[in-house]
Amino acid sequence: MLDMQHITKVYRTDLVETHALRDFNLAVAEGEFVAVTGPSGSGKTTFLNIAGLLESADGGHYRLDGDDVGALDDDARAGIRNQKIGFIFQGFNLIPDLDVFDNVDVPLRYRGFPARARRARIERSLELVGLAARMQHLPSQLSGGQQQRVAIARAIAGEPRFLLADEPTGNLDSLMARQIMDLLGEINRQGTTIILVTHDPELARRAHRNIHVMDGEVTDLKPFAARAGAAVA
Amino acid sequence: MEIRPILSALLRNRTGALLVGLQVAITLAVIANAFFIIAGRVERIRRPTGVDSPNLIFAKSQGYAPDYEHAAALATDLALLKGLPGVVAVTPTGQVPLSGGSSINTYQTSPDPKAPEFPGFYFEVNADFIDAYGLRLVAGRAFRPEEFVAVPANNDLPPVMIVTETMARTLLGQGPAVGKRLYDDTGKSAEIVGVVSDLQGSLYRDTRPGPSDVLFYPRGGLGNTWMYAVRVRPGESDRLLPEIERLLNASGHGRAIDWVRTHDWFLARTFRSDRRMVVFLSTLVILMTAVTALGIVGLATFQVNARRKQIGTRRALGARRTDIVRYFLVENGMLGAGGVVIGALLAYGASSWLTSAFQMPPLPPLYVLGSALALLALGQLAVLWPARRAGAIEPAVATRTV
Amino acid sequence: MLGYYLRLAWLSLRRTPAITLLMIGAIALGIGATTTTLTVYHRMSTNPIARRNEVLRAVTLDSWSPDQPWDRDHPELPPSEVTYRDAVAIAAGAPAARIVPMRKTSLTAEPGGGRPPFLVIARLATRDFFPMFDVPFAYGTGWDARADRNAEPVVVLSKETNGKLFGGENSVGRVLKLDGREYRVVGVLADWQPTPKFYDLNNGAYDTPEDIFLPFGLGAALDLQPGGNVNCWKSEALAGVHDLFGSNCTWHQLWAELRTPAEVERFQAWIDGYVVEQKKLGRFPRKLNNRLYRPDEWLARHEVVGLDSRVLLLVSFAFLAVCVLNVVGLLLSRFLGAAGSCAIRRALGASRGEIFRQHLVEVGLVGALAGLGGLAIGALGLKALEQLYSSYDRLTQLDLTMTVAAIALAVLAGVLAGLYPAWRICRVQPASYLKTQ
Repeated sequence: MLDMQHITKVYRTDLVETHALRDFNLAVAEGEFVAVTGPSGSGKTTFLNIAGLLESADGGHYRLDGDDVGALDDDARAGIRNQKIGFIFQGFNLIPDLDVFDNVDVPLRYRGFPARARRARIERSLELVGLAARMQHLPSQLSGGQQQRVAIARAIAGEPRFLLADEPTGNLDSLMARQIMDLLGEINRQGTTIILVTHDPELARRAHRNIHVMDGEVTDLKPFAARAGAAVA
Repeated sequence: MEIRPILSALLRNRTGALLVGLQVAITLAVIANAFFIIAGRVERIRRPTGVDSPNLIFAKSQGYAPDYEHAAALATDLALLKGLPGVVAVTPTGQVPLSGGSSINTYQTSPDPKAPEFPGFYFEVNADFIDAYGLRLVAGRAFRPEEFVAVPANNDLPPVMIVTETMARTLLGQGPAVGKRLYDDTGKSAEIVGVVSDLQGSLYRDTRPGPSDVLFYPRGGLGNTWMYAVRVRPGESDRLLPEIERLLNASGHGRAIDWVRTHDWFLARTFRSDRRMVVFLSTLVILMTAVTALGIVGLATFQVNARRKQIGTRRALGARRTDIVRYFLVENGMLGAGGVVIGALLAYGASSWLTSAFQMPPLPPLYVLGSALALLALGQLAVLWPARRAGAIEPAVATRTV
Repeated sequence: MLGYYLRLAWLSLRRTPAITLLMIGAIALGIGATTTTLTVYHRMSTNPIARRNEVLRAVTLDSWSPDQPWDRDHPELPPSEVTYRDAVAIAAGAPAARIVPMRKTSLTAEPGGGRPPFLVIARLATRDFFPMFDVPFAYGTGWDARADRNAEPVVVLSKETNGKLFGGENSVGRVLKLDGREYRVVGVLADWQPTPKFYDLNNGAYDTPEDIFLPFGLGAALDLQPGGNVNCWKSEALAGVHDLFGSNCTWHQLWAELRTPAEVERFQAWIDGYVVEQKKLGRFPRKLNNRLYRPDEWLARHEVVGLDSRVLLLVSFAFLAVCVLNVVGLLLSRFLGAAGSCAIRRALGASRGEIFRQHLVEVGLVGALAGLGGLAIGALGLKALEQLYSSYDRLTQLDLTMTVAAIALAVLAGVLAGLYPAWRICRVQPASYLKTQ
């Protein structure tokens, strides 16, 4: 599904070079739920940006769904983001001017679906996150948990191959956080691959596999065999 | 307050700085030239006419009937008008000062055909013209009634003439004019018997004759079309205008009264395009300055919002409100200074085009300097409000994450 | 996608009504000023006889003084008018499809019925005046060749004069008393307002055409007084109008219709030959300098547009430029302020092109709204100018061309202003905005 080999990324300013990723290797299989953990500044976010095709790597190979996506141009990357990847952010990143319906509509618009197909998908995904009744609300009229559920609905509306979640519960209280994690678990069970980036080991434990990043490298792989087995069963 | 860090901050936000600088530059180029043009027009409109304009009424009569008798019509008209209560004096006249129409002839101060020629506006009037126009006799004498020829045989120079002070100076320098003779290019001549105070003959132009180069001939005109200048007592012109029209129309003589109008009517018509230019240019200058000022406010507001965190940090590190306010004032001053320098170049560019294409006089530096200072002051004023808002930012902003 | 973009633009504009109004207002003001000055300029510089531009020629001869040129500022130019004797001689002898000598005069019309006599401005011309300048008739026609030959008392009325004298009805065959003589009406013009009045630009290039038209020969037969400029350089005994006809004063306009370059050449050769002959009689003391002008060249020679309208045009475009720069600044801050939303869209799969187009639609909408506002302001500006122009109000009517031009200019200005900000916003790196919100 996702295969990263020897990925490097360096940020340069006039004075300093920061090696955000150095020889980063990761393979994620179809249907997996992987947590990427690590302390602040370890390279988690850089990994997320590269995995989500928001940035390109300086070196190494990145294959997504069997295709080499490292060398694609900006438009092609936008197309892949649109069709294969769903994003869930810590800050929700809903568009404040648009109501819930229109927010979920955004990726579908760029996908060029006809109006009826868009409406069906929007309603289905909002149904799934339990917000079908709030379609006309603006983000500012929703609670944090509700906003994040809208973001999840937006991420899954286009039925992407995998979801990238960046601290999805970071701005939520623990009850809300649990609900969101339950929702992600449910989505994963229906077949969507999920990569969860977090610094919170509690959350990471709910994934099949936990990857720890330190100084831009994967340090150890701790399979949660028991939980993974339980999830598969 | 250090200039260097502000300058480097400006250079980092080049686009915004460039936008404001260019606006200031274009605005300066336009308003400096516009002020100069406006000042010229206002001067032209305000220049004294030299005659008693508010109390002057002109009437035009055109004889058409086959039996029309010009001399007889003239005599009755003058008698009728002079007899009207409220009328101060009346003269027939060939010209309305500053009406756009003119009669021009050239004069020499010696019979030698090679002598230099001086053009002048000539007015054909009778002996009462000094009172009728509200002029003043400066030297010599007025025309005698018997010198007036109602229907001249030809357009040769009359035996005697009166000139304005300016015309006398143009022709003869500082020397006395009374008693001197003027010649046309065929050698015929006339004697200057008097000098009167200046009046503007026709439209002001940069070419000769100058605006007040005017001569008076004691005679009527060649055709059957004639005008009267009627001077009335102050405040009486509204009442007397229709009265004069009725009186002349009723006098018969096989002629039509083409119009009866105040001198102010002619002045308004003559200066119409100047007024239009003044109104239109002033409006554009005001709008343009306002838009530029709004642009400065807009950009500064944006800068303040974008730098909230930075400003909060500065405040937390001990900057006083006035330091923050001054930072924005100095920044705007530097932007304005850059814009003003480019604007001055643009202003002179535009001025040299006007000079070469339309013979406009060159733009005096004072207009550029004045406009530049005014724009700089306006810039400071415009930036004051956003700068004060910046000063009001709490130091606590620095520690907030959102 | 256009509908979607328009909806997004509308939402975005509604979000910051103050800045939106400021932007629309700024462009609208710029457009309003430009529309106003462009309308006047366009009207002033239009060639009203463009259709016949190639075949018509104004004829000028340098008959001026040996000592000085006619125009000190342009010494190479012959006088813009000709003498009576040259006008008549050339009209009678020169080879051309049509030649029309003409001048202005004024007469007194007696409407009868107790109404007071009033002055009418008349154009004295030969019958070819009407077909040569495409003058439209409402009733009747011009006069015939015999009327020109015999200086018959016939008259063609302008539409206005016919309204004033005969209540606008078909007055052909009626009699009009002018200067105590009776004239038979042979034609009444339809509405005819060539602006500028190209065939005689002296004494008010934007005035309306004359009130009535009379056979040219009447001018000399009745010693009708000159109604326009009389320019003289030589001291000649002039005891009255009658003496002007033989004088060297210029006071007639002369137009020729020459249909091929060969005809133009032949005509030029003829008048040059004529002047050379006249030189033998001691006239035309200056060197041979006879010029023919097409109508557009004629308008240019008379500089009918003038300083003021050019300056105003320039100033209004400078104003528009300032407004556009201003809007660029406002758009830049607006768009960059909404960079977060764009980053989200980019993350969700919008291409740069899509973000760029979305913002161009937004500025296009601003431009279109500003265009409408600009038209309103322009109409107001023209109304105000009308007060200032008084009799020139034909210069201040907004026409369809200007309406379309104003809106197009506004959208162009809006898009131009938005191009750079839209480009900047579509280059936004999505990753840098998503983390820190």
